[in-house]
This record gives sequence, structure tokens and C-alpha cells, in this order.
Amino acid sequence: MLESALARVAPASATGSRPNDALRWIAAVFFVSALAFGLIAWAVGDVFFLRLATEALIYGGLALSVDLLLGRTGLLPLGQALFFGLGAYVSALVLKHWDASFWLALGVAIGASALAGLLGGLIAIRSKGVYFALISFGLAQVVSKVIYNTRELGASDGLIGVPAAQVGGGLTSAVPLGFFLLVLTLIFIVWALLSLLMDTPFGRQLAAVRGNEQRLAFIGVDPWRVKLAVFVLAAMIAGASGALYPMLRGFVSPELMFFQVSGNAVINVIVGGTGTLIGPLLGSSLLTGLRSVVGSWTEHHHIAIGLLFVAVVIMAPRGLVGGLAPWLQARLDRRGAKDRI
Amino acid sequence: MSTDVLLQTRNLGVRFGALQAVDDVSFEARRGAITAVIGPNGAGKSTLFNLISGSLRPLTGQVMLDGQDITGQPPQRLLAAGLARSFQITNLFFELPVRENLRLAAQFVEPGPWWRGLRHVRTSRSAMQRVDELIAQFELAADADELAGFLSHGQQRRLEIAMALASRPRLLLLDEPTQGMSHADTEDTAQLIRSLVQDGLSILIVEHDVDLVMKLSDHVVVMHQGAKLSQGHPDVVRADPAVQAAYFGQEVQHA
Repeated sequence: MLESALARVAPASATGSRPNDALRWIAAVFFVSALAFGLIAWAVGDVFFLRLATEALIYGGLALSVDLLLGRTGLLPLGQALFFGLGAYVSALVLKHWDASFWLALGVAIGASALAGLLGGLIAIRSKGVYFALISFGLAQVVSKVIYNTRELGASDGLIGVPAAQVGGGLTSAVPLGFFLLVLTLIFIVWALLSLLMDTPFGRQLAAVRGNEQRLAFIGVDPWRVKLAVFVLAAMIAGASGALYPMLRGFVSPELMFFQVSGNAVINVIVGGTGTLIGPLLGSSLLTGLRSVVGSWTEHHHIAIGLLFVAVVIMAPRGLVGGLAPWLQARLDRRGAKDRI
Repeated sequence: MSTDVLLQTRNLGVRFGALQAVDDVSFEARRGAITAVIGPNGAGKSTLFNLISGSLRPLTGQVMLDGQDITGQPPQRLLAAGLARSFQITNLFFELPVRENLRLAAQFVEPGPWWRGLRHVRTSRSAMQRVDELIAQFELAADADELAGFLSHGQQRRLEIAMALASRPRLLLLDEPTQGMSHADTEDTAQLIRSLVQDGLSILIVEHDVDLVMKLSDHVVVMHQGAKLSQGHPDVVRADPAVQAAYFGQEVQHA
């Protein structure tokens, strides 16, 4: 069931060696639009939507880490919020009890998620398909329940009163536009590095794991090592994204590790376009906005998101970007051909 | 053990539940020669192949490559030791282009520090060169950018062998390379296998097509019910009454 569902949302740009100009164009439009959105919101004196957009980008980072595993490597992580929440808690603790430095909190959170990713990876990547998905789900459940019951970490209330993070040069995470631009820059860097990574031998091995893991060993690559490396990398990206959350919202709670967050990240990836890298950022932006707007009308916004998810999977199984990219690529190719004549 | 022996199995065996799939098999494959393993369906040929190529771990016995014990090593280590294999059931990266399939396999010829894996693939000159060689050698140029899954069966079988060759192995294990091929394609593949041996490669082949094996091989090992029944030059094996009874007798009757 799950395997066939995964096959239906197979990425649009799986071929690897073909330059995918369409995805770069969509990414350029996305980042320029995000920049324009930030400046317009700031110009009209808005804070609410600027903060919401920052949150959308933070969840976009989590979605990128899910896409790296699901879209590129063929591993469905149902507990990626584990590393997102871990990064958030570590960042909150550093900011509250050690030093309110943005870079220190981010660095320690990434280091902690790398370590947790290594431990979690050693357990989770032993299994494949549905079993991998369930083990990653189970690990997140266990850790979130432990935190939920640990009074020193605020138990069910979480940690509140996290001070604003000092970035340097007078910028703090309390400045709406400044922090939005910082988060946008960081997410852009992660997206750009991952896009470049896909054209390296390591990146291509991820596609090989997804396509035919058994064969990989017979061409000299240990698939276990590739999977562990990508699992740790994805944990670091999720942890880095999580580290930004308490800087924005001033608190963390065990809910950040709950299945709701992991599941939403997977939905964001599939709606945006599995395996496209830019799709998950777009999906997170649209759905975070939608959840907030619909949520202000009715508390049953999950129904709206659920229906949208069903509609996208039926009508555009490759997601928004996955559906748009081939069409755009064909147009770019045609124009390229015309220019050559 | 004489120095012209490249691969040697000693009392190799494995059992699946009550079935003794491979039973106490010892044989040698010589350097620069084509050694074939034949036998009726269920004789244990493919299992023997899997034991040698690291797909399965033997319960008993040893596999020696050039005097070095490689028993139970995982496939990626065997590749480093110079042993590569192709598969009976075409086993490619179907969603990737032909060129990318070969590039993944050829990456192995360019070892280096781990961070080499984080540079753009186009910087791997010797791997790219190896890909171009293989595309020319296996006549895949016209479809180099096609997804492997869209190739014809014959082309996929050729790509399957090219993938195994990409790492420049010393010993190539071919698992029914002409499976499902037309007569013409089978002839071409036989030619190709001969030319590989002339270039210095040693080959161990499992094959269903007895006529092909008898024409192609220098040495034949006959398996029957998991055990070695006979071995020797094709003519010697063909004349062996035990082989006649177990194998050729049946073939003639059916034909």
C-alpha cells in the first residue's frame, strides 16, 4: 500500500544527470517573491505575516530534510520532527542558560542533531520501506514522551521566556524583517548546497539507493554508509531549522516533536513536489499560510488541509512543482532551440 | 595451488532449511580462461554463484581469490579485490540514464579521500573516460541519455555486463548473460566474451545454453542436485556418462 503510494509521488527530476533548468527558475521565482513579500510586509508595517512567513521558512527547512530522505533516497521519515524538536530544545536551553548568541545556539543545535542523527540512523536504517518509516516514527514518539514527562525541561508546558538571539551588528531575532531575511538567507544556502550536492558522486548514490539499493554494493558502494550519511545530514538540517523556532516564538514545547509536525512536513513535501527540493519550500509556505488563515476562521482547519492533500495527490501526484517543472522545461527547451536557430 | 589458478572454492556448502543447496563443491577457475558452471534447473548453479560473489554467506568451505581468502566478504569488498558480477535478472538503475548507470559503476575506478564524493561528478575525469569507453565498446552511444528502463531487453543485457566491467575487475562472474536474448544477440555476446578474455580478463560463467557453453568455455563444471558431478574440458565433460544421464540425456529427450 505504502510502497505503491510512494511510487505514485515519485519525483519529477529523478534522472539526475539532466540539467533541470525549470527547477532553478522556479527556485529563483520563489526566493525573489519571498524577498519581495518581506519588503512589502515591512513597508506596510506588518508584523504578523512577516513572523508567519519566517515560521513557514523554518518548517520549509524541516521539509527540505524530509525531501532529502524521501524524494532523493527513497526513505520515508515519519519522525523527522524528532530532530526538529531536539534542535529547538537545545537552542532554547543555550539561549536561556548559557548565552543569547544566535550562532552559538545554532552551532550547538546542529552538533546535537548530528549526534542524535547518528544514533537514530544506526537504529532506523537497518530497516527498509514501511519498517524504516515506523521506526523513525517510534523514535520520535519515545523521545517526545520522555521530554513530555521531564520536569526539568518544562514537561508538557515546554520552555518559555527564551530570550531573543543576538546575531551581531545589532540584529536580534526580535527584529521581524531582519530575522526574516536572515532565515531566508540560511534556507537559501541550505537549498543551494543540497542542489549542488545532487550533482556529486554522493548525491548520485542517493538516487541509486532509491532506484536499486541491492545493486549498489556490486558496484563497490556500501549502501549502509550512504544511508547513514544522508540520515545524519537530514537530521542536521532538521535540527538547524528547529534551532530557529524558539528564536522566533520565544518558547518550545514537546508538541514540536509530535507526529503532527512530522506528518505536516511529509505533506508539505508531497504537495510541493517530492524530490524537487524547491517544492518542499513552496509547499511549506503555502500550507503554513493556509493553516494559519483557515485556522483563524475555524478550528477544523485540518479538514481543509486534508482535502487539499487528497486533491493534490489525485490531480498532481508529483506535487505542484513536480507538475509544473516538466511543462516549464519543455517551454525552456523550445525557446533554447529557437535561440540556436 | 598453481599460480595460474585465479579462483578456487574449497568444500563450499550452504543449506536452506532441509535443502542442501550447495554441497561440498571444490573447483578452480584459471587465469585468462573461461570457466563455465552448468547443470539442470535446481542444480545449485546460481546459489554457488551467490556464495562466490558475496550475495550469500557459505556455511562451510572457503573461497580463495588469487590465494587470498575472500569467504563471506560483502560485495563491495570483493569488487575492491577485483571480482565483479552481472545478474541473471537484469538489475540496473532503471530510473537513471544509461550514462549515469555506467558513471555510478565507473566511479569505483577513481578512489580517493571521502571528500572526492562531494565534488561535481564532471571532475571525475578517469571515471567519465571509463564511461565513454564502455559506451563505445558496448554500442550504447545512441541511447546513452535514455533511461535504462526504456532500453530493449538486449541492450539492457549489454548494459548489465558493461556495469560489471566498469570497475576493471580481474575476474568477471556472468550469471546467464544471454538469458532471453535472440540468436543473433547471443552470438554477439559470445564474441564479446571471447574478446574480453583476449584482453586478459578471466571469466566464470553460469549458463543455461549448453551449446553456447561448450563452444565458449575452456573448462566446464557440471552441478547436479547441489553437488559437483563432473568437470574438465568441454569434450571430456560431454563424454562423461554421468553427465549424459543427469543432463544431456534429458535435453535430447526434450528436444
